[in-house]
Amino acid sequence: MKYEMVAGFETHVELSTNTKIFCSCTTAFGAEPNTHCCPVCIGLPGTLPKLNEKVVEYAIMAGLATNCEIAEIAKMDRKNYCYPDLPKAYQISQYDKPLCEHGYIELSNGRKIRITRIHIEEDAGKLIHNHGDTYVDYNRGGVPLIEIVSEPDIRSPEEAREYVEKLQQIMRYIGVSDCRMQEGSMRCDVNISVREAGSEKLGTRTEIKNMNSITFITKAMQYEFERQVDLIEAGEKVVQETLRYDDATNTTSPMRGKEDAHDYRYFREPDLVTIKVEREQVEKIKACLPELPNKKLDRYINEYEISEKDSALLVKYRNIAEYFDKAAQGLKTPKSAANFILTQIFRRLETEADKEAFDIKTLPEQLNKMCKLIESGKLKNSLAKSALEKMLDSGENIEKFVSEEDMAGLDDAALTKLCQDAINNSANAVADYKSGKEKALMSILGFVMKNSKGRADANAVKEKLKELIG
Amino acid sequence: MGLIKKYHDLLVKKEISCVELTQKYLDEINKSNGDLNAYITVTDELALENAKKVDAKIKAGEEISLLEGIPMTLKDNISTKGVETTCASKILSGYKPIYDATVYEILKSSGAVMLGKTNMDEFAMGSSSETSYFGGSKNPHNLSCCAGGSSGGGASAVGGNLAVYAIGSDTGGSIRQPASFCGVVGLKPTYGAVSRYGLIAYASSFDQIGPITKTVEDASIVFDAISKYDEKDSTSTGSNYETFNTLNDDIKGKKIGIAYEYLNGVKDEVKEAVLNASKVYESLGAEIVYFNLKELDYALPVYYILACAEASSNLGRYDGIRYGYKCEHYEGTHDMICRTRSEGFGEEVKRRILLGTYVLSAGYYDAYYKKAQNLRGSIVRAFDRAFADCDVILAPTVPMTAFKLGKAQFDPIETYLTDICTVPVNIASLPAVSVPCGIDKEGLPIGMQLIGRKFDEKTLLNIAYKYEQSTDNLKETKWGVKL
Amino acid sequence: MVTREDVENIALLSKLFIDENDLDKLTEDMQNIINFADTINKASDESEEFDNINNLENVFRNDVVKESLPVSEILSNAPEQADDHFLVRKRG
Repeated sequence: MKYEMVAGFETHVELSTNTKIFCSCTTAFGAEPNTHCCPVCIGLPGTLPKLNEKVVEYAIMAGLATNCEIAEIAKMDRKNYCYPDLPKAYQISQYDKPLCEHGYIELSNGRKIRITRIHIEEDAGKLIHNHGDTYVDYNRGGVPLIEIVSEPDIRSPEEAREYVEKLQQIMRYIGVSDCRMQEGSMRCDVNISVREAGSEKLGTRTEIKNMNSITFITKAMQYEFERQVDLIEAGEKVVQETLRYDDATNTTSPMRGKEDAHDYRYFREPDLVTIKVEREQVEKIKACLPELPNKKLDRYINEYEISEKDSALLVKYRNIAEYFDKAAQGLKTPKSAANFILTQIFRRLETEADKEAFDIKTLPEQLNKMCKLIESGKLKNSLAKSALEKMLDSGENIEKFVSEEDMAGLDDAALTKLCQDAINNSANAVADYKSGKEKALMSILGFVMKNSKGRADANAVKEKLKELIG
Repeated sequence: MGLIKKYHDLLVKKEISCVELTQKYLDEINKSNGDLNAYITVTDELALENAKKVDAKIKAGEEISLLEGIPMTLKDNISTKGVETTCASKILSGYKPIYDATVYEILKSSGAVMLGKTNMDEFAMGSSSETSYFGGSKNPHNLSCCAGGSSGGGASAVGGNLAVYAIGSDTGGSIRQPASFCGVVGLKPTYGAVSRYGLIAYASSFDQIGPITKTVEDASIVFDAISKYDEKDSTSTGSNYETFNTLNDDIKGKKIGIAYEYLNGVKDEVKEAVLNASKVYESLGAEIVYFNLKELDYALPVYYILACAEASSNLGRYDGIRYGYKCEHYEGTHDMICRTRSEGFGEEVKRRILLGTYVLSAGYYDAYYKKAQNLRGSIVRAFDRAFADCDVILAPTVPMTAFKLGKAQFDPIETYLTDICTVPVNIASLPAVSVPCGIDKEGLPIGMQLIGRKFDEKTLLNIAYKYEQSTDNLKETKWGVKL
Repeated sequence: MVTREDVENIALLSKLFIDENDLDKLTEDMQNIINFADTINKASDESEEFDNINNLENVFRNDVVKESLPVSEILSNAPEQADDHFLVRKRG
């Protein structure tokens, strides 16, 4: 029998606001323990939360970028559970009136993964376990999160990978989060069940909690899928439970003990007031959103006639795409700017992090100017390549490396002289060529090119040499 | 004249120094707190230090505000930086806040001299102050009776002349009921008028800070000072009006409503005293209108369901990790937290946490919490309708006078029932003031309650003041310490 | 009907230990309180949802950093601490 994977995601994304969600402490990462804390975020008795306006704005941006409807009225609720990393013994979250609902993300295979909802909430602190002792650091406590909940629309680890990457890409594009999984600013819980392929019925699901690497997610899903299939084939039942993934053994195991009986007892947070989202505000935010990666991709492929593969590389990170958009401005063939980026510039960016940062000395306007010179025929491609290398090293303009004279190219007389000189100095090669060794011409051509300091056009030189040798 | 203005004048005229005045009160605390148990903490050094600053100011010829140099006290659930704040609970023993409640910040900057922190029911849960970990506060009019609760320490202190005024909190009557029992004035402002920042939460959507004073004028002065918008409290609004300048306005033609339901089950002497007050109002030219407010029938369960639900969540944080009490022997974190809470909370607090957890838990939420929340809406609207026909509502504050010590502990439900006249105001977020209106056969004070429209403390205190001025309830002899 | 199991369950959620000897009495107490609470179910339900107390909306804070407190103050009330962390030892 053939089985199908059915998976849904709950993705926590830390928002890159300056301050925490309910107090004015900084959200900066990596500080000494308990130094980004105040009475509010360590939950001292008598303290009250005050909602950071930016958190609402960022959540709305995330909602709009994932095709969600934005609620007119939202509210905050308390999710009650007692754990040392949660200083108030409740997490302020949103239960039945989240800010965003009913969105979707479209995968490259055309399938839409529906987004059930996006809500705002606060992060918990960090627990460090050492020989059974527990050390508590509340620096992360109160950092704003959005939780993006998907419908169980994902059918394979590959789709899961693309879904998470797309989310990451979109959130980075709109600037609401850096989505660094290894720093914990993006974490995924996966609900997973199996069913007979083609069936509409959902099987019993398990939940794999708190994964912070895409590789682990896909491995864990594959493992869990096979485990559930094995159980069903053996006539056993899948138990609905919460699991943890262990990457060392590539296995999942149950997470909670009996003492953590859960009943969150959600109720309206009485210390906060209603959030009313005006439609004008939504329109204003919508107008400020950058062009999203999917749109850009379409534009590059269809308008710029750049290959799908190259287009994908260009839109992968917002910095690259924005650089390219500026560099391609007004070009007849934007593809030429794309080629310079994907070859010469990419060669200098070794890691993904380098590519994401896209920190290069040459401004997109400088590249744009160079491409325009090429288009107008003033600058030879060959010359441009070597000039770009120097530009990238120094950050200087094209004029610094290519003179007016260079750009003017060679007139026929100069070209004839250069070729004749080369022929005179390459008696052997000329003889070889004459005896039918076509390749010998290339060494003479190289000689000419070198002496022209790149100003000569290779095709023109070739023709001229043939003409002179006869 | 009220006590605050009286002392203010003496200070300004240099007939008494602030240090002398403060010392008089500290002496009185030394003498009587053993009996009354009004204070949990006395901050004598801090008080004298602050008094000296006020004296220096007066000496330098600087002007001082009305509250400057006046000795007062805060309920022990209001956070005071560096001064132990226990909520009268073992679980907060030793806890010294690292920040000030907004109300204390305001009073400090007005030059108030804090004498100490007053006793209360543990986490403000109770009606007699006897659930306090430190033992109950006693009634200055009769030491075999309780001071009421939960702000019993504050009412006992003001009634017994251990402070000029006290700042209390009122979740279901905790300012008004002890004020009534101790023969003093207690004002519960409109929800939002006074910032809750720093008030250790019992039930967040009901809690409100207010003054306990000797006179309506004093209550007005303190209320005007503390009812400021606070950006730290999202539910804070501040008050719309100053109340002080209009206290003595004519009340001719004002309509005073009496709801029949408020008189049900009320002890005869109390009922009589309240109805006598209505006659005083008629003599002042006000009109008395009677009406029904049948929504009051379910006010008590609505209050207990919602307040306990919020409390069960608010009190989850006491886990022995960040502050307060931690149990000595345990095995693992879960065990530590459960032991700490089981050892640190008293019986009434545990009972309310359990009830609150129950009404919020899966399967019961709709029948209790949600239903009660809807009925809260009905009660709000019922008051709106009532106030279409009257300016204030007159009612007893408590259906009886102060109970004997130990009685409240006996039957929780019986005790809950005594809150019947006070809780509707908190449900509907209205302002209300308890004013002394008589003495029963045993010599215990009787209080009447005036309930105002939302944010209309101005009319409320005006009407309360006119009553107070036209009766002989103000006896000069009961006023403050002997100077 | 409040059962012993109900009380045990809500005690666990409330992180409270109930002494076995007190369980029957507490169950009875809870039953009485719940009976009292049940009187609301006699009231007709207008089922209009109650919003926040003063119908306030959109009370926000600007996203501007203010200095946090020194770690010594943050930890000043901690029953136990080590290396600038709150500490819960394995056993006590």
